[in-house]
Amino acid sequence: MCASVKYNIRGPALIPRMKTKHRIYYITLFSIVLLGLIATGMFQFWPHSIESSSDWSVQKRSIRDVPVVRLPADSPVPERGDLSCRMHTCFDVYRCGFNPKNKIKVYIYSLKKYVDDAGVPVSSTISQEYNELLTAVADSDYYTEDIARACLFIPSIDLLNQNALRVKETAQALAQLSRWDRGTNHLLFNMLPGGPPDYNTALDVPRDRALLAGGGFSTWTYRQGYDVSIPVYSPLSAEVDLPEKGPGPRRYFLLSSQMALHPEYREELAALQARHGEAALVLDKCTNLSEGIPAARKRCHKHQVFDYPQVLQEATFCVVLRGARLGQAVLSDVLRAGCIPVIIADSYILPFSEVLDWKRASVAVPEEKMSDVYSILQSIPQRQIEEMQRQARWFWEAYFQSIKAIALATLQIINDRIYPYAAISYEDWNDPPSVKWGSVSNPLFLPLIPPQSQGFTAIVLTYDRVESLFRVITEVSKVPSLSKLLVVWNNQNKNPPEDSLWPKIRVPLKVVRTAENKLSNRFFPYDEIETEAVLAIDDDIIMLTSDELQFGYEVWREFPDRLVGYPGRLHLWDHEMSKWKYESEWTNEVSMVLTGAAFYHKYFNYLYTYKMPGDIKNWVDAHMNCEDIAMNFLVANVTGKAVIKV
Amino acid sequence: MQSWRRKSLWLALLASWILVLLGLFPLLRLAVPTSPRAGAPRGWPRWLDAELLQSFAKPGELLEDGPRPPQALRGGSCNWGACFDTSKCRGGGLKVFVYPAAGPVSETRRRILASVEGSRYHTLSAAEACLLLLLSPDTSTGECDPVPPQWDGGRNHLVLSLHPAPCPRTFQLGQAMVAEASPTVDTFRPGFDVALPLLPEAHPLRGGAPGQLRQHSPRPGVALLALAEDGGRWHVAGTDFSACPWDGRCEQDRGPKQTHPGATLPNATFCLIPGRSPDVLHFLQALQAGCIPVLLSPRWELPFSEVIDWTKAAIVADERLPLQVLTALQEMPLTRVLALRQQTQFLWDAYFSSVEKVVHTTLEIIQDRIFGPSAHPSLLWNRPPGAILALPTFSPSPSDFPFYHLQQGSRPLGRFSALIWGGAPGQPPLKLIQAVAGSQHCAQILVLWSSEKPPPTRWPKTAVPLTVIDGHRKVSDRFFPYSAISTDAILSLDAHSSLSTSEVDFAFVVWQSFPERMVGFLTWSHFWDEARGGWGYTAKRTNEFSMVLTSAAFYHRYYHTLFTHSLPKALRTLADEAPTCVDVLMNFLVASVTKLPPIKVPYGMWHQEARPPPLEPGGPGLRQEPQPAAQNCINQMAAGFGHMPLVSSRLRLDPVLFKDPVSVLRKKYRSLEKP
Repeated sequence: MCASVKYNIRGPALIPRMKTKHRIYYITLFSIVLLGLIATGMFQFWPHSIESSSDWSVQKRSIRDVPVVRLPADSPVPERGDLSCRMHTCFDVYRCGFNPKNKIKVYIYSLKKYVDDAGVPVSSTISQEYNELLTAVADSDYYTEDIARACLFIPSIDLLNQNALRVKETAQALAQLSRWDRGTNHLLFNMLPGGPPDYNTALDVPRDRALLAGGGFSTWTYRQGYDVSIPVYSPLSAEVDLPEKGPGPRRYFLLSSQMALHPEYREELAALQARHGEAALVLDKCTNLSEGIPAARKRCHKHQVFDYPQVLQEATFCVVLRGARLGQAVLSDVLRAGCIPVIIADSYILPFSEVLDWKRASVAVPEEKMSDVYSILQSIPQRQIEEMQRQARWFWEAYFQSIKAIALATLQIINDRIYPYAAISYEDWNDPPSVKWGSVSNPLFLPLIPPQSQGFTAIVLTYDRVESLFRVITEVSKVPSLSKLLVVWNNQNKNPPEDSLWPKIRVPLKVVRTAENKLSNRFFPYDEIETEAVLAIDDDIIMLTSDELQFGYEVWREFPDRLVGYPGRLHLWDHEMSKWKYESEWTNEVSMVLTGAAFYHKYFNYLYTYKMPGDIKNWVDAHMNCEDIAMNFLVANVTGKAVIKV
Repeated sequence: MQSWRRKSLWLALLASWILVLLGLFPLLRLAVPTSPRAGAPRGWPRWLDAELLQSFAKPGELLEDGPRPPQALRGGSCNWGACFDTSKCRGGGLKVFVYPAAGPVSETRRRILASVEGSRYHTLSAAEACLLLLLSPDTSTGECDPVPPQWDGGRNHLVLSLHPAPCPRTFQLGQAMVAEASPTVDTFRPGFDVALPLLPEAHPLRGGAPGQLRQHSPRPGVALLALAEDGGRWHVAGTDFSACPWDGRCEQDRGPKQTHPGATLPNATFCLIPGRSPDVLHFLQALQAGCIPVLLSPRWELPFSEVIDWTKAAIVADERLPLQVLTALQEMPLTRVLALRQQTQFLWDAYFSSVEKVVHTTLEIIQDRIFGPSAHPSLLWNRPPGAILALPTFSPSPSDFPFYHLQQGSRPLGRFSALIWGGAPGQPPLKLIQAVAGSQHCAQILVLWSSEKPPPTRWPKTAVPLTVIDGHRKVSDRFFPYSAISTDAILSLDAHSSLSTSEVDFAFVVWQSFPERMVGFLTWSHFWDEARGGWGYTAKRTNEFSMVLTSAAFYHRYYHTLFTHSLPKALRTLADEAPTCVDVLMNFLVASVTKLPPIKVPYGMWHQEARPPPLEPGGPGLRQEPQPAAQNCINQMAAGFGHMPLVSSRLRLDPVLFKDPVSVLRKKYRSLEKP
């Protein structure tokens, strides 16, 4: 408002010199030019926005409107799956090219409705879960819209349930995909394979070289390192709200909740229950439920009715028996309840077994040994049981919980095969967050005493105290194990003394000039450092004798992963001030050593320079202080070990 | 009027300007990116009727998929559940019987036999065995064995062949498991067969050469790549490896070519090994050299892949993407390189360096399958000291072992049990018991009475419980895992030991920082005796030490389990016969596990001046100076272990203010400095 008032005053002051006619003329001209400009701008940019907004309208459409594709009866059918396929034979890795982010690119075919010659649909267009799965993939970093850049292709043909599709026609639909090429680099998702009467353990749809992410693989159909075994998603995961129940003893020791069991198995279970009474509970379908109660949510034992899946939380171990299919959705419910699954399904390839360590979360019992199940489980100590309960729940949270979790874990596994050097580690896959936080993995874990012959490199940080520096150099050069001396000249305004002025010593002496006067220059991993051991020493530490230094090096050799130094310091919690305090008095404990004279591994220089968390390094450089506390923190944080004071 | 019109005109103009500016800028911002807008939905459409979609399974379909009877065994295919009868292994765990060799025995075969016989699983009776081991004939004999007597369709049999079989088998494998070197991926049955490494002919029986890695990080300027060539040779490609074409050969000969196969190990950070099968020998060489194996699409199963997490020590890459692999290796973060290199050394040392280790690992894998839920967790296999030295029978929880506290974020228990070995006549060691019981960390005192004479009936009153255990009058008894030991730490003592409470307190605090090592007061050192051509050891005060006396030492109670259950019986018998040997044996054991020296803590001079009473032959006593006769035991131990595991140390750990010029009153362990 203010501005417009100003202009209002200024405007007339400028223009009065012109005649009114001219003024109107000018205004009109100006307006026309302006309008022209606007119009140009509009035409320049409008089409794109129109396009993207039309995209919007495409997104908001109905499944009933998807294009229909008619499959001629004689259209080609792919070969059956090739059992000898491995990543290096059947997978075209060239399509994945080089990607700096080490991430595969996944393309999803657009949704079509396939009908046969007679116009009868081949399958239901898409299920809720498959739609969710494709949405999850499309929302992830893996997704690409560019078919030419894609490394992996996911058909939008829903194969999750084999019973919901016609095998031959679906195969024909696969074969006519634009980049099919014998199924190379195509990923198919299936959770319920096979059909009556013999229930194959892998999808029956001929798929040639396509990778199969399948639920219920057996050792005979699973192509190790090629296929991915996935869980059978349990819709109860989304339907029922089941609060987490911590590990600990539960009411029932062993529970069976599956409804469709072969009589032979049921007999075995009944015998178990008879032998162990209250501790074992075998549930069955409810026969006399009143109308309106979903049968899927109730289980019965004799006349007692139990809520499912809530009852699973009452048991320590839950039986997951093979049905007609090896993969059972009940596994997901059981894990969610923190009940340890007892897998009785010989040859079943457990979900994501390529990366998940199922021994930590489940017990596998051979079908033959079913009668011994109770004694096998009883031999497991309580502590291990609690650990397994925790692990089971964590597996569900991370990999079973939603269709999205299943889809992303599958893609991650394939991604790790293609970029193995950037693969996720065993610990990342298997350790629950609480363990990840508490654990320290020492980067120098190998017990190793480096040979004495290697020696150490002394690094002297100096600014301009040349006299004192020369004394330090002379002193340090007397240490037998010194192999090189590096002077870090931190003064940009002054040149280091001429070569002839430096003390003559028996080891090579190198002067490194720095670009900026920063404290962190002391901890830079200079290429000149050829030994693992580094002695950081200030240019005024002249009181250490060569014996003291030599012994310090000997001590470092026996503790190469620690800081070995001379003056020690301690950190204390100040209760009055409620903060940490730095103690430099003579105390009975030390937690830090000053880096004015300390031995440590060169690797910590690399960590200090490149991996220091947060803004610590910049803070130290800005304040010209605290670099020794920063280094002590860094080493203690990565190794979990204390310093050694000599 | 005029001025009002003029004003309004200007106002209109101004307003239009503002409008244009306001309108244009957002438009500009919107229109600049030509690619689809970020944040806008892309890719898979959000269907309007997504809510109406059906679930993939009909209600009830997931719950009832048609029950099926237990499956009959599929012909020809075996898995663990179907083809191995674990009921035979109940009770005694894994018991292994080896078919005796018929006819002349080759060297390799003799080594395998010896290592099975030396293992804790060996049994002489085929009837009580749960695993029957059939050694596949090797090249030198050339004969093929007939079907063994207890064959039974191969059930519970393991056919072990360290070298590819030279002759076709005369019988069907049936249900037998196969342990063979570098099996092809296509025939290997995961979880049933065992993949072995391809060992060179001259692989040692025991001990074996240590890993070549002498420092944690690669030396600056060391070659990045070595390429495996035919005939067991390596071609070090130097730092400028781009000159090498991808087929594993370099046209210009840049690096020194090694002519003797296997004579030298590759000196590089990464070792490229093509996936063809003749190159598998390179794999072990690289492992030993600490050169990270980069396997290019291997067609063979990696050794012990069932339990070893090879992603921690090797890289399996695709041979079809050479440039990508090279770039990835060049750009690999130092932290990862460091971890991979160290892991190669650990694995080599734990599982591959000798025939014995390979055979024991194989048996350990099979035992793990039998154990089911109480098998080694993956952590025990893949972290030092490795699964052969970490017995799963000790505890199911890794934090009970002394080795995994860092990974588990746990700490050892803050108390110790004093285990006093006594049996000499006379008064109970009053002073010692009081000194030990005076420690704030002491949880209990156990007296292991090991004499024909009954123990004294009266024991001093102490603040902590005192229990007398009746021993079996054998020296090795003192390292038996008594169930009465309730703490992680054990303070092992002789009745004649002399210690002060301060010394005990400080030593225990030190042990808490090093729970996997022995922390002791009195030390011995070993040396190579040129004159006699053997090892010797001495109690003389030298600048180095490598053993601490178990007459006063802290260590983890796990070493009792290991001592009793994993050491070969022959070595324990040896220790029983020559009592001073038991110290050597315990130190050998701990050093072979930790690969580190024990720790020495301060010990008052005045203790040593009080001379002990004369030694009772065979009985417990203060074993100060090793007798000449016992000198030989160190050599027998070294032979039994296959190498000299002891490591020397040159330092002693003191309290922080030890001998510092501050007031004695400020020192925590002031009595340590008594003159």
